[in-house]
Amino acid sequence: MLSPVDDARATFEGLLAPVLDRAYATARRLTRNDADAEDLVQEAALLAYRGFKTFRHGSNFAAWFLRILMNAFLSSRRKHRAEDAAVSLDDVPNAYMQRQAHELVRGDAVPDGLGGGDVALGTLDKLEREQIEAAIDRLPEEFRVASALYFLQDLSYQDIAGMLGIPIGTVRSRLHRGRALLQQALWQVALDNGLVPGKQP
Amino acid sequence: MKPRLSCAETFRHLDDYLDRELAAADTEAVEEHLQACADCSGEFAVERELLERIRAKLAGVKVPDTLRARIAALLARE
Repeated sequence: MLSPVDDARATFEGLLAPVLDRAYATARRLTRNDADAEDLVQEAALLAYRGFKTFRHGSNFAAWFLRILMNAFLSSRRKHRAEDAAVSLDDVPNAYMQRQAHELVRGDAVPDGLGGGDVALGTLDKLEREQIEAAIDRLPEEFRVASALYFLQDLSYQDIAGMLGIPIGTVRSRLHRGRALLQQALWQVALDNGLVPGKQP
Repeated sequence: MKPRLSCAETFRHLDDYLDRELAAADTEAVEEHLQACADCSGEFAVERELLERIRAKLAGVKVPDTLRARIAALLARE
């Protein structure tokens, strides 16, 4: 028979196991570094275990653990603020890849029968996960963090606002802008690698 | 009956609509336009699909077994 301590640990580990993949994927985008991501997840697991008594059983463990992970990340960021790559502040329109693809189609640059949507989706499909990750990593931090939470966790604007301690309007703006900047970056990667139909590098 | 929103107005709501963060009245107006406009409907569908495919590609990461083991060992020591 398990002792109460072993029982609590088994319960905790049972809840933690299914959320670790997504937590680690999120941590990799937050820290932009696999070793730091591992440290962050490890620290969050330890903090979560130590605070397990505060977890309301039956509530959303994944969200609770993510909050602990985010707090640990934000805490460490306050100590070691990394430099962000310079990014143009010019407004990038939404649905960037589609707009570029439609321009190509209108300019008769792509094979017949392919519409702008096909070109945009087909181009994205040729990109490797690592290329998408690298593009997210090059975003300024506020957009990178919002994008990581958007793409890797199923969170509302309100959830993200609560995690980051910022207004919902700011979340909205960072997500929209972040996605536009990401699409712009992905389109450029695709162009550079000759992956866009009708466009040679 | 002419939809309440133009294509440009509808497209301005794209991100909020895909995030399910539009107010009910605006959602209704967007959906009314999408039902009437095949071009916008197609573009919204492509945008949704683009974001889903990015999400799917990023989700393929697995936590290393070494990290799982390290965490288990740390918890056992607590």
